[in-house]
Amino acid sequence: MDWKHFAVRDWVYVAVFGALWGALEITLGAYLHVLFPPMADTFLIGVIMAGIGAIIALTGRYFVPHTGSLLAIGIITAVLKVVSLGGMKTGPIVAILAESLLMELTFLGRPSEAGGRYVLAGVLAVSWNFFHKFVMSYVIFGSGITKVYVKMIHDGARLLGMNEQHAVLIIVILFLVRVVVGGVSGWCGWKLGQAAARRLSWA
Amino acid sequence: MGRARLRTGTGSTLLFLVIVGVLVALLPTRWLWPLLPIVISFGELSGRGGLRTLASPRFWGPLILLVALSPFLLGTPDISWGPLPISWAGLEAGVTMALRAAVLTLALRVSIGALTIAQLTRLFERVGGRGLGFALGVSLNLLPVFQDVIGAAYHTVRLRGGFRRPLRGGRLFLLTVVVNGLRYGDDVVKAAQARAFDPSGPSVRH
Repeated sequence: MDWKHFAVRDWVYVAVFGALWGALEITLGAYLHVLFPPMADTFLIGVIMAGIGAIIALTGRYFVPHTGSLLAIGIITAVLKVVSLGGMKTGPIVAILAESLLMELTFLGRPSEAGGRYVLAGVLAVSWNFFHKFVMSYVIFGSGITKVYVKMIHDGARLLGMNEQHAVLIIVILFLVRVVVGGVSGWCGWKLGQAAARRLSWA
Repeated sequence: MGRARLRTGTGSTLLFLVIVGVLVALLPTRWLWPLLPIVISFGELSGRGGLRTLASPRFWGPLILLVALSPFLLGTPDISWGPLPISWAGLEAGVTMALRAAVLTLALRVSIGALTIAQLTRLFERVGGRGLGFALGVSLNLLPVFQDVIGAAYHTVRLRGGFRRPLRGGRLFLLTVVVNGLRYGDDVVKAAQARAFDPSGPSVRH
């Protein structure tokens, strides 16, 4: 990653948006974990935090429009999460790094700053939340968890009075919710950047 | 008699973390049992204090909960304990999950968790030039300021009834936080430029 062309202002803004994302992860994230039961971690808190993180990071990209800025913001946020009082939790750290990497990939190649690119970056970042559950399950629970997942889907479908075809539909809906939240987050990040620039009389 | 100490640098500590992470992801469960004492030994020999987590209820609580609940929630029930169905396969799965989680958490604690901010900053300087280390230092100093900014913005918007319209209130809240953050950032830029700081310049020897 080439960060050599970053000026002092770019690095300070990377620090600002990394600290903002980190502060929201530490304060709002901890608050949401108290409000909601642990079982809702990935499906509810994860989506909310991923959406807010995408908004903040993409607003940062608006102010530091260079390759590598999103990844740098993600790295700073992850380190702040590591050294925070809340302690080191593998899940959020992996999620923050993966989301920032996916957002960074969206902006690779073409230097275009169109809103569509922000929306795509948001979609990719929040969609990671869906796969995060499976990746972390594999790492933490091992490959044997597949049988448990199949049984969970089977039991869930029976509990809801649906057949397994509907369970697949439920999974698709869960994924689409993330796509929509991500798209809205990306668009919000783009608009928030413009609004903040206007407020600071930059635009 | 002095205790044996392993001289570990930042690079070797991170290498250890990567190796443990890969092993946890790839090894079958029976091979994870020997990994746990290896991680603990590394933490003890490196003497960075990462093993303090073993005395923390925050470390043991989730692991105990995982093992205690899994026989009731996972697997096919084998026997019944009153009205509660119990599964040995569920208990086995719970122990496996707890073992993987314990190895990963301890590996993180004795590696990255035990590094000082100065060591992390030096590592970043080596990886991404001076800029990333500088940004980390700035963000660590700004973090408590931003926690106050976020709290002040939230209470201001709430007390002025901004959250009666949640979308507009949320937008106003985020905009206030971002603009205030950038204004703090501008002060830091001026301070750094006044000291002729150059992020592309040579690293400072610590």
